[in-house]
Amino acid sequence: MFSYNFRYELKLLLRSKWIQLLSIILLLLFGFSGYNGKEKVAKRKADIVAAKNEVKENDEMMLRLLDSIEKGMEVSASRWTIPTNPMVVGNYNPRVAAMEPQSMAFIATGQADLFTHYVKPKVTGDDFALNFTEMTSPVQLLFGSFDLSFVIIYLLPLIIIAFSYNVLSSEKESGSLRLLASQPIRIQNWVLQKLSLRFFWLSVLVIIALLITLSILGITWFSTFISFLILIGFILTYMLFWFAFAFLVNLGAGNSAKNAISLLGLWVLFVLLVPSTLNQLSTTLYPMPSRTLMINEMRGLKAEVAKKQDKILDNFLRDHPEYAINDTTQTRGFYHRYMASQQLVKEELKPVFMAYENQLQKQQAWVERLKWVSPAITIQESLNKMAGTSTGDYEHFRKQVVVFAETWRSFLTPFLYNNQNFTQNNYHDLPQFEFQPKSVTEQPKILGILLFIALSLFSIGFISSEKVKRKSMLKLL
Amino acid sequence: MITIQNLTKKYNGQIALDQLNLKVNKGEIYCLLGANGAGKTTTINLLLGFIEPTSGSALINNLNVFEKAKETKKFLAYIPENLMLYPSLTAIENLDYFSGIAGKRLSKESLISFLKEAGLQENAFENRITAFSKGMRQKVGIAIALAKDARVLLLDEPTSGLDPKASNEFGQLLHNLSQKGVATLMATHDLFRAKEVATHIGIMKDGQLKEEFIASDISLHGLEKTYLSTMNYKEVEL
Repeated sequence: MFSYNFRYELKLLLRSKWIQLLSIILLLLFGFSGYNGKEKVAKRKADIVAAKNEVKENDEMMLRLLDSIEKGMEVSASRWTIPTNPMVVGNYNPRVAAMEPQSMAFIATGQADLFTHYVKPKVTGDDFALNFTEMTSPVQLLFGSFDLSFVIIYLLPLIIIAFSYNVLSSEKESGSLRLLASQPIRIQNWVLQKLSLRFFWLSVLVIIALLITLSILGITWFSTFISFLILIGFILTYMLFWFAFAFLVNLGAGNSAKNAISLLGLWVLFVLLVPSTLNQLSTTLYPMPSRTLMINEMRGLKAEVAKKQDKILDNFLRDHPEYAINDTTQTRGFYHRYMASQQLVKEELKPVFMAYENQLQKQQAWVERLKWVSPAITIQESLNKMAGTSTGDYEHFRKQVVVFAETWRSFLTPFLYNNQNFTQNNYHDLPQFEFQPKSVTEQPKILGILLFIALSLFSIGFISSEKVKRKSMLKLL
Repeated sequence: MITIQNLTKKYNGQIALDQLNLKVNKGEIYCLLGANGAGKTTTINLLLGFIEPTSGSALINNLNVFEKAKETKKFLAYIPENLMLYPSLTAIENLDYFSGIAGKRLSKESLISFLKEAGLQENAFENRITAFSKGMRQKVGIAIALAKDARVLLLDEPTSGLDPKASNEFGQLLHNLSQKGVATLMATHDLFRAKEVATHIGIMKDGQLKEEFIASDISLHGLEKTYLSTMNYKEVEL
């Protein structure tokens, strides 16, 4: 039966104008979303390149100034911009700490609309002053990004519903079901085979659409072949979910309209309602501390600290006798006091930061635990992680930047307290930021679990339809 | 070939079929006559395994229909009142598909020979079913039965809506099948066609088999008279 179903299902699909139209729509959706994703990645790369170029230009200027100064020439620059001062280098020539896009970044915008992809940590800045959020189009935030993940998670199920809602009911409505049911076949098997074949052909269409899109856009998917295979794995597993739902609904023996509404109801539930409810619940259960209140608290603390900066500096130097030994001038200025007080500010603000981070972690852990409630959330999370645009990825980037900011300060602070000039020779020792992407290892496990759940749904449909098959048959005919 | 013993079917306490006993042997054509709701279609649905009986048994080729539903369907073919096939497939493709899912792999030559035997005109073999008349679709249905090598044929009002020529051709096809030893059970309202093709005729009312004849033992007029009196209808004098 399978080979006949396979052959004739293909013939029926190829002869159906509706299916031809759906295939063209699918191709256009993949093409347009792939293009959008690529444009976003290109803009992100261009922004990072522009920031690096700016740093490069500033560095060239700095090196020219240092060269002139070291040759004993007079330079026409303000005193507070002369780079022999390590604090000038630290503040006016910061390095770019950039989060380079991953090879699969084009598939999911994820949190990329909300967060910046590079920062320039300054020597006098504190960790909280590092601004990772980015103003973006409110319209885009409202509607989301039309990227591949949007097409896969939101639109592909609708195409699957259009592809599968009436596999059995159309036979009933056209009258061919009685003839079919009189053959030595089991209707459940026949429906399962029909859906399997539609799943197969839609999978072929999706893979072709994806390959065509990537080829046209010049995205070198073959260089990241494993990632590409995993992406295909996620898409097919997600499709399998929707075909499992279609199987269950088809066996319910309703008419086509009822089936379509039932499947659309499941789409609204799993794609819209569950994710938004979980999101709302996570912010209700674990509300983030007010950023405004934190800034106020930080300012108050800084003002307090500023009043007793001399005492703080004395304590700091007592704790760091090496600076007194290396520095013969013992000159102390604004930056000496400021940098010494920074450590204290950092320690005092630690509980405030921790409260913020703890809530964020609790939110993430809560969503992580409940992501299995909806395949849409699981797949969105997985695609975001593949693209390197998940909340976790940005958090990973933020932590690396905080570490780098500390490295940047630690490199320049000894120059300050030793009252040592920054020279051209020191330039090459300046710390550089290198982004280490978060390793994604759980994908096969997630794929396995999703596959198991989808196959379980098929099994439930099959077992329950066995129990009610007589009743169903009568209802059907 | 078909043996029905004390077959009863109730829907929510309402009797649809009441203690039906019936036998159709190899090569016989048994026509079940009766008004709407008499239990003809229920009998066929039971034989097809579409519904379960309240009590009684039905055997096809000595296999219990309700215990071996899938096996019994290997031996039977069914043509409903409106035989609907896949409109976007041709006659040959429909025949190939239905015989294929029934487990018969046939060459194109065999498929063509079955369509010819069923009386479908050759220029329609490669045409899509969408433009076929009911009579042409019935012929494809007969071709499916032939291709399946069915030993039992179940027909539910197959001639309703057919023009006299098509109805006559259909009767001829049934006769040919009976010559091959196929046992046929046909539910119909068409007394004329029943008298013409049947070897046995039964009249049903309220789920019971009220009358049963050998077709050759009764004239068309006699059949009509018996039918009307069984149904408690008055014969209208013309």
